[in-house]
Amino acid sequence: MPDIIQFNQVTVIAGQNKTLLSDITFTLQTGAKLALCGKSGAGKSTVLKTLLGLHPLASGSVHFNGRPLNASTIAAIRSQAAYIGQEPVLAADTVHEALLLPFQFKARRSHKPTEAQIDAVLARLYLPQAILGQACGQISGGEKQRIALARGLLLGNTLFLLDEVTSALDPESKQAVLKVFADPSLTVLSVTHDADWLAQCSRVLEFEAGRIIMDTRKDSHHDHT
Amino acid sequence: MTTLDIAWPQMAVLYGLCLLPWLLLGLAGLRLNKTIAISIVRMSVQLGLVGVYLKTLFNLNDPWLNGLWILLMLVVADVSILQRAGLKIRYFMLCTFTAIAFSTVFATGYLVVLVIRPASYFDAHYIVPLAGMMLGNSLQGNVIALERFYASLRKNDSEYLTFLLLGATHWEAVRPYFRMAITAAISPTLAGMATMGLVSLPGMMTGQILGGSEPWLAVKYQIAIMICLFASTTLACIINLKLSLKIAFNSYDVLKEEVMKTP
Repeated sequence: MPDIIQFNQVTVIAGQNKTLLSDITFTLQTGAKLALCGKSGAGKSTVLKTLLGLHPLASGSVHFNGRPLNASTIAAIRSQAAYIGQEPVLAADTVHEALLLPFQFKARRSHKPTEAQIDAVLARLYLPQAILGQACGQISGGEKQRIALARGLLLGNTLFLLDEVTSALDPESKQAVLKVFADPSLTVLSVTHDADWLAQCSRVLEFEAGRIIMDTRKDSHHDHT
Repeated sequence: MTTLDIAWPQMAVLYGLCLLPWLLLGLAGLRLNKTIAISIVRMSVQLGLVGVYLKTLFNLNDPWLNGLWILLMLVVADVSILQRAGLKIRYFMLCTFTAIAFSTVFATGYLVVLVIRPASYFDAHYIVPLAGMMLGNSLQGNVIALERFYASLRKNDSEYLTFLLLGATHWEAVRPYFRMAITAAISPTLAGMATMGLVSLPGMMTGQILGGSEPWLAVKYQIAIMICLFASTTLACIINLKLSLKIAFNSYDVLKEEVMKTP
C-alpha cells in the first residue's frame, strides 16, 4: 500500500523554545488505522495539527501523497481529509445546516448530498433523523461528535484525522462509530485513549513529552524508539 | 449676509457658559474639574492652531504645500488607526496608508473635479477641509473595521479553522467576519445619513448658514459631503481589510499572532 502520510524526523517548537514534538518519524499507508496515545500534553494532537498546517515545522519534513508540506499540499490535505476534534465546532444554527455547511464552499458545492444520503449516514452513526431539526447548541457532546463524524462521512473523504472522537460516546454509539471506521477503504490517523478503538487499530504509537516511546503493530511486533 | 465677528470680550462671556455645567457637575459630586479644564484648554489650543495653519495654507495656496499637508494628515491618521485597532504599526502601516490615501484622494478628487469644479482644483479652501473631513470619518470607520475583524477572528478561531478544515478557501473562511466588520464600520455613517436633518442639523451646514450661505447651497454641500464620506469610508475599510489579509496570515492561512499588539 502506498504511503499517504510520512513524518520524517519532525520537530515542532511553539513560541520561543517549548518543544511540542521531537524527532517524530512514522508513515501511514492507505487503509491503515494508526492510533496515537499517551498522556495529555504528550504531543498527540500536535501531530494532527501539524499535518493540517496549524503548527510550523522547526525541522524535519512531512509528505502527503509523496509531496512535501507547502501551501498547496496543505490545501489538498484540508480538502481530502476530514478532521474531527474532541470538541467539534459545528458552526451552524441547526444540525441540518451543520451537515450541509461544507457544501456551501466553492470546492464542494457540486457534491451536496441528498436527504437520503444524510439519513443513511445518520443511521450508520446511531443518530435519529429527528436530530436534523435540533439546534446545535442543544445537543449533547456525544451527539456533536457524531454529527461532526457524519459531516466528515458526507464529504466522501477516505482519510480521517480524529482526535478523541469517542470520548463522549455511550457504548452503543461507540460501537456504531467503531463499525463505521472498521471499513478497510478508510485511512484513519487517530488520537485516542479508548481500549476498544486501540484494539481496532493496525498500529499504535505511544507518545511522551513530544517523543514516540513505543511503536506497537498489530502483529505484536514492538519497536522502542 | 455677512458673518458677525465674535469680539474677545464676548469670547470670554462664551467661556463663562461652561461655569454652569461645571458647577452642576460639582454639586452632583462628579469630580470632573480636571477633565473639563483639560478638555476646554485642549479644544481651544487645537482649534487655535488649526486657525493658524489654515490661514497660512489659504494665504500661500500652494498646491505642493497643500499636498504635503494632506500627506501629513494621512500619516497621522494611519498611525492613529493602527494604534487604536490593536495592530502593530510596522506590519500594517503600508496597507492602511494605501487604503486611506486612495479613498481620500479619490473621494475628494471626485467631489472637487466633478461636482464643485472650482477655478483651481488644488485650491486650499476646498481640498484641505474636504480631505480632512473624509479622513476623519475614514479614521473612525477603519478603527472599527480592523478591530472588529481581528478581534472576532481571534475570538472565533475554532470556527474559522473549522471552515478551513471543511474545505473553505481563505476568503470563504474569513468572509463572515469581514462582512460583520464592514457592517459595523459603515453603520455610524449610514445612521448619520438616515437621521440627518431630523435629529440634528449637521455642523458643516450650520457653519455655512452662519457664514452667510443660502440654506439651499448649504444643503447641497452637506449632501455632497455625506455621499463622499460614505463612499470614502466604505472604500477605505474594504481596501484596508483586503490588503491586511496578505499580512496577517501565514501561507497556511493561520493568523499570525505576532502582528497583534496584545497576545
